[in-house]
Amino acid sequence: MKKIRSQLKNALPLFLLIFLYWNPLLFSQERFRKSPPNPEPFTELRLPEINYKTFPNNGLTLAIIQRENLPIISLKAIIFSGESSSPENLPGIATLTANMISRGVSHLTSSRIEEEIESIGGRFFTSIHPDHSVFTFTFLEEYLDRALSLLSRMFLQPTFLSHEIENVKRSMQYGIIQNKTDPEFLAKRQLFRLLFRDHPYYKGTLNEDLIRYLNQKDLISYFRNYYRPNNALIVLTGNLNITATERLVSRYFYSWRKKELLNSPLPPPNPFTEQKVCLIDLPGAKDATIYLGNVVYPVTSQDIFPLIALNQVLGGTPKSRLFMNLRESKGYAYYAFSNVGSFKSCSIFFVNARVTPEVTYSSINEILKEIEGITKNKIPIPEIEQAKSYLIGNLSLQIETFENLSSKASEFNILNIEDELWRKYYENIMLIDSERVLETAGKYPLLTPVIVIVGDSSIILDNIREFGEVELFNKKGVSQGILHLNKGEKK
Amino acid sequence: MNKVSLLKNKLLILSLSLFLFGWYSYSQAQDEKNLPFPITLFKLKNGLQVILSEDSSLPLVSVVVAYNVGSMYEEPGKTGLAYLLENLMFQGSENVSRMQHYSIIHNAGGELNAATSADKTIFFQTVPSNQLARVLWLESDRMMSLEINDLNVQQVKDILIEEIHHRKATNPYLESYYRFDQFIYPDFFYSHPVIGNESDLINITVEDVKKFYSTFYKPNNAVLSIAGNINKKKAEEEIRKYFETIPEGQNFPPVTSPKLPERKPIIRTHKDPSVPSPGFHLGYRMASPSTDDFYPLRIIEYILLHGKTSRLYKRLIKRDRTASHLSGSIEIRKNLARLKIFVVCGNTTMMERSKRAIISEINRLKMSLISEKELQKSKNLFKMDYINQYATSGDKARFLAESFLSKKSLDHLANELKKYLAVTRGDIIGIMRKYFTHESITLNIIK
Repeated sequence: MKKIRSQLKNALPLFLLIFLYWNPLLFSQERFRKSPPNPEPFTELRLPEINYKTFPNNGLTLAIIQRENLPIISLKAIIFSGESSSPENLPGIATLTANMISRGVSHLTSSRIEEEIESIGGRFFTSIHPDHSVFTFTFLEEYLDRALSLLSRMFLQPTFLSHEIENVKRSMQYGIIQNKTDPEFLAKRQLFRLLFRDHPYYKGTLNEDLIRYLNQKDLISYFRNYYRPNNALIVLTGNLNITATERLVSRYFYSWRKKELLNSPLPPPNPFTEQKVCLIDLPGAKDATIYLGNVVYPVTSQDIFPLIALNQVLGGTPKSRLFMNLRESKGYAYYAFSNVGSFKSCSIFFVNARVTPEVTYSSINEILKEIEGITKNKIPIPEIEQAKSYLIGNLSLQIETFENLSSKASEFNILNIEDELWRKYYENIMLIDSERVLETAGKYPLLTPVIVIVGDSSIILDNIREFGEVELFNKKGVSQGILHLNKGEKK
Repeated sequence: MNKVSLLKNKLLILSLSLFLFGWYSYSQAQDEKNLPFPITLFKLKNGLQVILSEDSSLPLVSVVVAYNVGSMYEEPGKTGLAYLLENLMFQGSENVSRMQHYSIIHNAGGELNAATSADKTIFFQTVPSNQLARVLWLESDRMMSLEINDLNVQQVKDILIEEIHHRKATNPYLESYYRFDQFIYPDFFYSHPVIGNESDLINITVEDVKKFYSTFYKPNNAVLSIAGNINKKKAEEEIRKYFETIPEGQNFPPVTSPKLPERKPIIRTHKDPSVPSPGFHLGYRMASPSTDDFYPLRIIEYILLHGKTSRLYKRLIKRDRTASHLSGSIEIRKNLARLKIFVVCGNTTMMERSKRAIISEINRLKMSLISEKELQKSKNLFKMDYINQYATSGDKARFLAESFLSKKSLDHLANELKKYLAVTRGDIIGIMRKYFTHESITLNIIK
């Protein structure tokens, strides 16, 4: 017993030493916990190769992106014509045509098409834009053959049956009517209507009354003019053998006949040179929804990168100036962001925010002050570097899914963005500095935007008197006249 | 005593003390095979389960920390505590200031979020892969030393109360969902809403929050799952550095065993003038997710409810046009699973017809064999959703963490998809008859 006690006594210092070594937390925390570790060197994203092939017989372009890590395939079929190519007297015909593509082909009703899509684990949906129409199809990789067969029948043998056209028209009307209670939809549509007032892009801002005039004859005529292989692109992303896939696409689309196209490049719309304020009355709305913006540069210009950085600093994320000011500092807004919407002939720089109605004027004032600040003063170096760090790091996240990767590749083709611009994204972002952002911002009329407010006019009008003149619109976007408000006077 | 025996005795005591401090609880990394992607599993000496999955296709890494705690661990009168704590985890810890977690992730171009359910709380972030150590630093700091004080608890309570008001204002059927859960789940622990009741939230004290945190936010009650562009050896070193000295927890209160009701149908009517149209919630009690019966049940969910060609969508929305809204799925809370269907109709006549149509479709599936083609379609839709659970690095890290928490291992993953896809037409009819019984129905009518 004595011996054991003595052994324990001898071992006690060692025991304590080990105890202290393994339990430093009893006394103080480890030093490495006090500050964040430095990041490792940045691993630059190697952008995936896009393998293009244009089939000589009909001009159809195929883009294949190989990704191996999932047994699914993302397909996007693009028709390089959208709502701006609808005839002047038939706005909506491009949208109706695109929505009809999956609603019946020879020997296959729309229900059977749905069955076929879901039988291959698939999802299919359509989206229509001013410059183009997109058909997105995702399915299990073992069914590539069936997916291409079905897609080719949609483009080569559509039936466009009258009763299906009526069904689609009804659902388009219903969709627009449903959206009329959504202040975001109303505000954005009105902003774009005003910015595109004398431009073919205006046709993309449909209202439900126009849909009833669309008919089968006009639809078929539009389809024959624009749904042509030399006006189309198919993008496939997945674990694909390039040669075998090209052969398969050729087999299914070989008989699609090309035709000379009616597409002609559109000039950019004219920007607003004076500020204009509009109000859409939405009785009962609890908040004020604000969209303000103006026409800016064509997306392919060299200004694209400084403007991306400007947008990031101003309102790209919740850490940007607008959010930090309007929500975190002033407490006016639920959110406040800025965006760049890209079209083939121009871009739209816009800010959207949802604010408490009582501070509508103050919020718009703060937004304009922030825009003025960024167009007149150099962005401090740490802030611009932080924005660049975000933009570079975030690119990989933007192309993580197969569908997003297909979308990116489609976007380059739709907007005619050169491959080089994509390849050198990292270098182009790194080259941005405060001087270039300031110089670029000065070129565009960011301080004379169209301002659209959607909310309950019985609350909001009193809170926007400082603007003096406001044009009132109803929910259909029809002007109800100009209100001359007395500044500083409340009801 | 000679030197050798002294050394021997010291070694004996050294090994004893190392044992006491957990050295031998270090477990070797184990590579799991037969999965659609590589994974490595190991456990730290404090019990933190680590899962690594390497994928170098993009320079990204996702870090998920999932805690084995959710709203079902709350006591009556303290609802909303788990969700409050999820929000508080972004408010700073001993070495991380209030906005710093968000700033670090954001400045790197990354994304972050969190989610609380009945049985787990999950934190996830995806960043460029050079930022891994920083994320581990952030996650370990809040696991070890979360800042909990009057000010930040009150701030989070205010935000959550605003969220409760917002949810109620924007979803007129919300109350009916909560009410239905009270009928279809056996007791308070399983059935109360994750967001909590406003009155409970107001009364939660800082001490309640501290106690909940110090009980459940412990390494041996969590899984750390990392997926993406990592060097496994280096990642393991960093993980050990930041997490291994965090003290483990003890005495985790067990989940209260559900008080299973007697097997009889539950039918209730709830008058609510705030709903724009009448509707109903219909549910069935399902087999536990850990049983073999669950595989056909999941496929049945797809046959009935997923896609525009599912039986109920085709019947109620397309053919009969008796419903304006139809949704539903199997929901899992720990070891209980429930099929929940929600239908909104234009009027009460349409509602009656919709109810009868659902029962008739269920009876049809009980009486006659499904065609091979329809079964294959449902399996393919399921397969696509199953694969999409690990489509991105963030999805994958979360999928692995949640799978581990639900089954306490990942062994089942090697064959899980195969088992779903092996379900036969005979299985469907047998399982339909076993679980879709009149006694198993819960119905809550809203008008």
